[in-house]
Amino acid sequence: MAAGRCDETIVAVITPPGEGGIAALRIAGKRSLSFLESHFRSTSEDSPQFKPFLMRYGHFVGRDGNVIDEVMAVYMPAGRSYTGLPQVEIFCHGGRQVVQLIQQQIVNDGARMSEPGEFTRLAFLSGRIDLAKAEAVAEIIAANTDSSFGAAREHLLGAYAEHVTVLREALVDIAAEIEASIDFPEEDIDAAGSRRLVEMLDRTIGSIGELVESYTGGRIIDEGYRIAIGGRPNAGKSSLFNLLLRQERALVTPTAGTTRDYLSEWIDLGGFKVNIIDTAGLRRGGGQIERAGQKSAKRIIDSSDILLWMVDLSKKNWQAELKADIKALEKTAIILLGNKIDAVPAGAEKAWQADSNNLLLTSCKTRKGIADLKKSLIVRINDKMPDLTDGLVVTSARHKQKLAVALKALRAARRKMAASESPELTAFDLRLAIGAIDEITGRIYTDEILGKIFSRFCVGK
Amino acid sequence: MMAEYDVIVVGGGHAGVEAALAVARMGKTAAIVTMDAKRLALMSCNPAIGGVGKSHVVKEIDALGGLMGEAIDATGIQFRRLNLSRGPAVWSTRAQADRIKYNDYVVDFVRRQESVDVIEGVAGEILADAGRAVGIVTEDGRRIGSRAIVIATGTFLGGLIHIGEKKIRAGRIGEKAAWELSESFRALGFEIGRLKTGTPPRIDGATIDWSRCEIQPGETPIPFFSSRSSREQFDQTPCHLTYTTAATKLLVSANFEASPIFSGQINSTGPRYCPSIEDKFFRFADKERHQIFLEPEGNGTSEVYPNGFSTALPEEIQRQAIRTVAGLEEAVVTQPGYAVEYDYCPAYQVKPTLETRRLEGLFLAGQILGTSGYEEAAGQGLIAGVNAVLQIEREPGLVLDRSEAYIGVMIDDITTHSTTEPYRLFTSRAEYRLALREDNARDRLHQYARKYRLINEAEADHFERLDQATREQIKHFQKKRVAVADLGELRARFQKRENISLEGLLKQPGITINEALPIIARFDGELSHEREVLERAAIWIRYKGYIDKQQREIEKFKRMEGAVIPADFSYDTIAGLKQEAREKFRRFRPGSLGQAGRIEGVTPGDLAVLSIHLKKWSGSGE
Ligand SMILES: Nc1nc2c(ncn2[C@@H]2O[C@H](COP(=O)(O)OP(=O)(O)OP(=O)(O)O)[C@@H](O)[C@H]2O)c(=O)[nH]1
Ligand SMILES: [Mg+2]
Repeated sequence: MAAGRCDETIVAVITPPGEGGIAALRIAGKRSLSFLESHFRSTSEDSPQFKPFLMRYGHFVGRDGNVIDEVMAVYMPAGRSYTGLPQVEIFCHGGRQVVQLIQQQIVNDGARMSEPGEFTRLAFLSGRIDLAKAEAVAEIIAANTDSSFGAAREHLLGAYAEHVTVLREALVDIAAEIEASIDFPEEDIDAAGSRRLVEMLDRTIGSIGELVESYTGGRIIDEGYRIAIGGRPNAGKSSLFNLLLRQERALVTPTAGTTRDYLSEWIDLGGFKVNIIDTAGLRRGGGQIERAGQKSAKRIIDSSDILLWMVDLSKKNWQAELKADIKALEKTAIILLGNKIDAVPAGAEKAWQADSNNLLLTSCKTRKGIADLKKSLIVRINDKMPDLTDGLVVTSARHKQKLAVALKALRAARRKMAASESPELTAFDLRLAIGAIDEITGRIYTDEILGKIFSRFCVGK
Repeated sequence: MMAEYDVIVVGGGHAGVEAALAVARMGKTAAIVTMDAKRLALMSCNPAIGGVGKSHVVKEIDALGGLMGEAIDATGIQFRRLNLSRGPAVWSTRAQADRIKYNDYVVDFVRRQESVDVIEGVAGEILADAGRAVGIVTEDGRRIGSRAIVIATGTFLGGLIHIGEKKIRAGRIGEKAAWELSESFRALGFEIGRLKTGTPPRIDGATIDWSRCEIQPGETPIPFFSSRSSREQFDQTPCHLTYTTAATKLLVSANFEASPIFSGQINSTGPRYCPSIEDKFFRFADKERHQIFLEPEGNGTSEVYPNGFSTALPEEIQRQAIRTVAGLEEAVVTQPGYAVEYDYCPAYQVKPTLETRRLEGLFLAGQILGTSGYEEAAGQGLIAGVNAVLQIEREPGLVLDRSEAYIGVMIDDITTHSTTEPYRLFTSRAEYRLALREDNARDRLHQYARKYRLINEAEADHFERLDQATREQIKHFQKKRVAVADLGELRARFQKRENISLEGLLKQPGITINEALPIIARFDGELSHEREVLERAAIWIRYKGYIDKQQREIEKFKRMEGAVIPADFSYDTIAGLKQEAREKFRRFRPGSLGQAGRIEGVTPGDLAVLSIHLKKWSGSGE
């Protein structure tokens, strides 16, 4: 009946795969403590009972009575653990095998292997963490580069949540004054035309605007900096892709039109998460499949943070083609790569009359210029990176969308205040904005406004 | 026990009267049990009906066939609309009543209403049989049987008046209180809490120097409340505005200790929106003066109500303090102000139909549920009366939701929140404020008025014709284009355009409806001559964009309201639910997921857990 699933006890290894010094295992659910107790043998004389949050040292013993490993274990009671459920954490010596042996024992006892993100979901459901924090935790779990971890950690620590809360507070203050002027028309509260309110609103609009803008940086942290490799067929795009990946991922052939679809991979470039995409060469004509590939190539190029546009310097008319291509692409974030420099006589690139776009000379064969390319990419990414030290970066697309809704509503409110429109319409927009922000933090707009009014104004006859 | 009446209504205040009349309109019999048959719907506090948010309820009561709007229209001495400089959603009619005439009008109306009796007496006990309310016993031992009961005792339940150190057992000055009934509630297992409210002293108007006060005239043409009124225009009586002085502040501040509100004699909480004068000076010490509205209590009396001067200070200090107010230097106090403490039943104990969870057929309405105000009480009384009849007939109850009516907002608020002060309506409580207006109260509630036969055929036809005319008017506004050159003083606002639809004109930001309508009237020829139709159509156009925008929200809201939580749903078996949330759910017993989410202190996490289990529950039930 109603209980069902929630009676289950779940288990998972919570340290990442690979050989580390220590591996940790988490058990959550009603029976977690009894599972631990049935396997734990203390090696000292201390009390046989687990006390909440007190780490104990001992042996993890299998069903057959054999010691599997030396472990440290700790118990957290319901309501005071991350998941909100009774919870146990066991730390054993690293090594995939040992941890898996222990996990297997617990599963044999009747626990279920947890699903990805299940602990966090439990934490959210039990009210231990709010929606923003749950998302931040999810980000930490997904984070696999240094900078990404930094932003996620700031989210969790609440610098961001706090900032959003402060902004919301300011909006509630403004709304309270406007509401007071509506609900108490006979008191001398003239909020609608108040300069102070307009200034307050302007400041808040500014801050939310900055947050929305920080999303580009936030997205880069979250999804990786997006690099598209484009160019005419046979320029050497896939060769470069493989070089950057340090593996033979894409097919490379002398035939033009080899890559028909696109290939997407993530790499670590100077500590940044980077998404490289190899596209089909762009040219007129071609078969149906090729044309479809070109369409997606165009889309990828448009949405990339930077485009590496490759030209084959060994082709006779490369200058004319390049001129036409640059014009057609309409892309400003672009690095031009003059490839196959090994196959042409020295100085061939001089034929390119660059106005603003210099050619970076490369060879996928000799690797000339590749290190320079990486360096200049890292500089560019770094420029795009938001300042992570204050943690005020929006990395979730959902948050960005909500903040954008709030921003739009606030701008509408601002216009109405400037035009001395009727205050119930300004209040409508403010409520919309506060509602959107509430969807980030999961808070509910209840009697707060009235509470504010009564504490600030002496209303009532 | 034999049922002599279908419904017994205990208490003859604003809630009780509307309850009894609704019962009668639905074809059942009712008896109002009250201390004094000549004091029905008395205005115990200020002699006024309406005001921001409250006027909306009066219009809703009127749309549901209730009496309040008609009574004030017939006996008001001054009418005006507050917030006229703002948008029509917050226009709020307010009227000064002739207190005695209002009272007489209601007494007379009830006397002429068939199938409503008024029985003088004080109810002392509620009789229950097998979990059902079956009648009452009066304090003097009379037993009266009924099929349902509505309790609407106002401040009389355990009423205790404080004036300085003086304490009087009474619900209203000069009257008794109902202490036995309180005990009966406790005996039945109800939780009883205590609240406080207050009233200012009354002054003899003949002793006021009016020349030192600011005059506040009524509005013409007179904005009446009821669609059933036919009163002609008349000469209105003005109100006056004055202010406290530095001397008032000094005197009141020197006597904080003498007030039972500060001395510890009163522990219960009063309303923050209606503070006593000592509260005002205490909490807002940097405010030098406070405004006082001098409201006449009627044309046949010189008694004046100094609105804003509620106090429980000792009588002698009250007299001195009143004389520090500008214009009141020689004023004679005719009745002292006082604070009154009274018992109430925290509203989590009733369903949204206002029927108690504990006892079938027992309904509560008004101050006993922790609200304040005549309008709030009357709105609940009407709903309780309708639902008492529906309960007797074993029909599903009438529950208005937050997107339909202020009455719905109010009942939902009090049944999902703990009471910390007497509850009063404000327009800011309504998230769908732009859709809940005075002008469209009938549009919102007509279907219920018809369904439950709360209005007669002629009234229904009248509204349906108005509705039709409004629709045609809207179409006309949308079609008709006029030359900008003909727009007179509004011309300058449309520099770039040559002509514009009337709809476009009405939607233009910065132009109010009151500015636009007289101009539109110049293109009269094809327009309706009825001001109400023009106004309704213009307001509809004005807000259409916003209301369409809110429609999605309303649909989401309705979906959540539609996610019903069965009455027998058990919160005990839900693992993962915080203890605090579990207790809240058990206490408030939400009827839907939407309502559960509005319970104070419930987090989205709690709601997510609940919704998951609800799905499982309904899955296993089938
Ligand atoms: N000499 C020389 N040859 C290169 C260089 N880069 C790539 N090539 C050769 O050029 C040919 C095409 O290379 P790809 O990497 O497949 O080119 P692509 O741009 O991906 O071609 P499509 O996918 O067909 O559009 C292959 O034969 C490569 O070996 C280079 O720097 N120097
Ligand atoms: Mg390729």
